[in-house]
Amino acid sequence: MGKFVFIVPPLTGHINPTLSIGAVLLQRGHQVGWISLDSSLEQRLPEGGKLLLIAYEENDLQKQESEKYLDIITKKIVYGIDSIKFLYEEVLIPLNRHSYEGILGLLDAYQPDLVITDHQMFAGAIAAVNKNMPYVTSVTAPAAIKVMDELPKVHEWEVKQIVALQKELGVEGETSIACSDLLTMVLTSREFFGEMDLPEQYQFTGPVISERIVVSDFDWARLEGFGTQPKLLVSIGTTFDHEHKKSFFTKVVEAFGNQPLTVVVVSDPSLFEQWPDNFMVQHSVPQLELLPHLDAVVCHGGHNTVCETLANGLPMVVVPIAYDQSHVAGRVVRVGAGLRLNFNRFKANHLKEAVHEILNNISFRNASERIRHSFADAGGTRTAADLLAGLTAGKAAPAIGEVGILNH
Amino acid sequence: MDTVVVLKQFITEVIGEEFVEEMDIDMNSSFTRDLEMDSIEIVSFSEKIKAHYGDQIDFTGWLSNMDLDQLINLNLGMIVEYIDNARN
Repeated sequence: MGKFVFIVPPLTGHINPTLSIGAVLLQRGHQVGWISLDSSLEQRLPEGGKLLLIAYEENDLQKQESEKYLDIITKKIVYGIDSIKFLYEEVLIPLNRHSYEGILGLLDAYQPDLVITDHQMFAGAIAAVNKNMPYVTSVTAPAAIKVMDELPKVHEWEVKQIVALQKELGVEGETSIACSDLLTMVLTSREFFGEMDLPEQYQFTGPVISERIVVSDFDWARLEGFGTQPKLLVSIGTTFDHEHKKSFFTKVVEAFGNQPLTVVVVSDPSLFEQWPDNFMVQHSVPQLELLPHLDAVVCHGGHNTVCETLANGLPMVVVPIAYDQSHVAGRVVRVGAGLRLNFNRFKANHLKEAVHEILNNISFRNASERIRHSFADAGGTRTAADLLAGLTAGKAAPAIGEVGILNH
Repeated sequence: MDTVVVLKQFITEVIGEEFVEEMDIDMNSSFTRDLEMDSIEIVSFSEKIKAHYGDQIDFTGWLSNMDLDQLINLNLGMIVEYIDNARN
């Protein structure tokens, strides 16, 4: 039996895949812990999972600081290349610096066989190296490791920020250790990721999208009541602030209000006093259960929503806002599974035309189906769990593989 | 043809005619902040420049040497200046 610990940033999209992989490891009898700054993670952990909270209780100021990092990413409106600078300088570097000491202490106390750290929680990699513990990286936002041939300095700059923090925390050398040499799991398929030479320790597991615990209610009868007209999901994720949402959904309402479409919107219903009659608006929806009932998706290009859409073979319109979403949108267009719009410039009629196009031109759905198959082939949660268990199998029970352990 | 005219045409192709009409594009217009292009759009703009000027200039080489701050501040005037100097 192995003892695993995931180190996650306070970002939903980066946490969810670890919950699925962790659930499988727990079912197979392993011990699994999660190191996080967010105490609310506890209620979302799979049964048997243990929250290892990064806490600096001795000092109120530090505790307040911890809370500050939970939603830091939502605090500023950023766009395009500017957003990469914001992400590193104002979110990732301070977050990792703040988390480092706590991670060190928790690793000491928990003594895992294997550390699995998120590619943006490089403090986890630094702590593992300094504690001489083996670590694996999970790349939950694969577009972030893609290097743009035309703009290589963007990636170089990112690496420079990580290396500077590594040195500050006692790891010498000029290369980033964020992605492990032992195993770096890229949570998508090769087909969707696109061409890029990667070292052999990079393994494509496919997206990890099963086994999530559903907590949202949904009025299925009402959805059913709309009949056979096309059903659309519109979501721009969890990390963007009120103003972004307001400007975006104003255009969504203008495009689809009282059209022969059913529009499920993920948003705070109080964003507007009134929504059109053909809209269903909820703060959160059981997205995985809902997608099979839908015909298309409009989203901001967050990796998880895009993967879940593709895993259902649905076409989409992607409206990227910041960070790596522009790349994700680029991939969707490139594989032919959808269209992209510019978040700042698009108008209601563009959205309306784009959705009309993806609903009526079968090639988008066909392309999405192709990616769905590549995801299924990659394996997802099971492949990721097998890779992790494989790394500790020798240690726990020499010469007996994972299946052998299960049969005992 | 005047370099500025060529480049404005490429900008129009990348971001769409109706937006260009609404904006006052001048030599100080920055690609990230004023034209609100993201990285993928900047790359597709640069591909158009490459296709148009071909071997006359090494635009990719010039662009790939830009660090993050230079890219954020990149404006139309800088590209016009580069192209005109490289061709003379």
